[in-house]
Amino acid sequence: MSAYPRTIAVGYDGSPDAVAAAHWAMATARLLGAHLVLVHARGMLGRLDRRDPRTIFAAPVADLVESTGFDPTRLSWHDTDGDACSVLLRCAEAPVFADLVVVGSRGRDEHAGMLLGSTSLQLAERSPVPVVIVPTSPGA
Amino acid sequence: MLIVNDPLDDLGHEDPGHPERPDRLVAVRHAIAQLDLGGDQVNVAARAATRTELAAVHEGAYLDELGAFCYEGGGDIDEDTYATYDSWALAQVAAGAGLVVVDELRRRGEGVGFVSVRPPGHHALADRAMGFCLLNNVAIAAAALRGDGERVLIVDWDVHHGNGTQTIFWNDPDVLYVSTHQWPLFPGSGVASEVGGPRAVGATLNLPLPAGATGDVVRRALDEVAAPVIEEFAPTWVLVSAGFDGHLADPMADFALSSGDFARLASWAASFAPRDGRLAFFLEGGYDLAALRDSVTATLAAALGDSMASEGETSGGPGEEQIRRSMRERASSLELVRDQLADGAAP
Repeated sequence: MSAYPRTIAVGYDGSPDAVAAAHWAMATARLLGAHLVLVHARGMLGRLDRRDPRTIFAAPVADLVESTGFDPTRLSWHDTDGDACSVLLRCAEAPVFADLVVVGSRGRDEHAGMLLGSTSLQLAERSPVPVVIVPTSPGA
Repeated sequence: MLIVNDPLDDLGHEDPGHPERPDRLVAVRHAIAQLDLGGDQVNVAARAATRTELAAVHEGAYLDELGAFCYEGGGDIDEDTYATYDSWALAQVAAGAGLVVVDELRRRGEGVGFVSVRPPGHHALADRAMGFCLLNNVAIAAAALRGDGERVLIVDWDVHHGNGTQTIFWNDPDVLYVSTHQWPLFPGSGVASEVGGPRAVGATLNLPLPAGATGDVVRRALDEVAAPVIEEFAPTWVLVSAGFDGHLADPMADFALSSGDFARLASWAASFAPRDGRLAFFLEGGYDLAALRDSVTATLAAALGDSMASEGETSGGPGEEQIRRSMRERASSLELVRDQLADGAAP
């Protein structure tokens, strides 16, 4: 196992927290020369909107690449069915093989300070690889 | 005889535009009316499940937080799942409805139960709501039966894998969980290599099938893989997580089942009940209202020994290779886990 992560997975659902997490993950991946995987978990309602996340989120991701100076050839997507927590937990396995997982402090439609649906807290508790939780802003 | 809970006051659990909506139970009421059972239908009043009954499945901290969240007005729990001010009270009654239907079956010693409730339950984990589900209704009923020494078979034919039910009984050798579902699909679990925990090796049986699967494929998976395991398990009760989102018309997934297929599945599940009065169906998914109505009618009629399917059975869809692969993966996983246990290693 490398001392530094070679593949970083970051949960991405377009929420402000996910954008903050992706920014931190891209900047870190650039410093480490790591590959970055944007992970999009498709929930039950996701079946009603079958557009490709690469299309939905093309503009904000392009902005992130530009602002961090990240090499876009080292960027890929993992779009899969499942709840965000389960999908991110499985990122340590094939096909992603992440050795670091990055998430925002809360995803789209998650409530601040609420344990019920907190992906980040459950991930931190159960992940087999290190997890970084990125707040949207200090004190968030 | 059909034993069903009284209609719930469920209008308060609604999120405009969300597919898990009150109209679903209206469709189910029409489905039951279509059966025209007269005196052969017994309605029982639902009650809220007690804290002790819920705590047999769910963690106390989760129950506290869900209740408090609802009393504060509710909101979105995650991108799929919502709760309102009324959801906590309704979810407790939905869980209690399963208990009273099962109790009535036990008291009478005859009949088929149908638990007509929402929100659905089979995705709800011990400590977490997800997939439109707040409390795991079928698991709460199974836990009550289990507490009385029964051996419970749970057949889950919802198009989504019932990750909550599987996880809750993962290590319980007296609950056999059998699921057919589309895979890959939400929630992402339910592969054949998931066979149960160290104390219940083999008591979880997953039959993942591809998009487009038809009734003949689902039946073949159940007949060839599940039936021998169920016969060996010898259940004293059969509970069915009856989701109807595998219907061709349902927008949430890509199975190609018909109301006739659900009728056949109901007869199949009923064949494992050891005697009359030991079979209950729990409503899970199903979001196309016409398909839901006709499929519920067909299911309950079949369970009662009648035929009222408005559509024929389907065939010719994909999945044969996946059945073979699932059999291999299950056998391999069972062997691996048993070897690990024999070696004293925790799998």
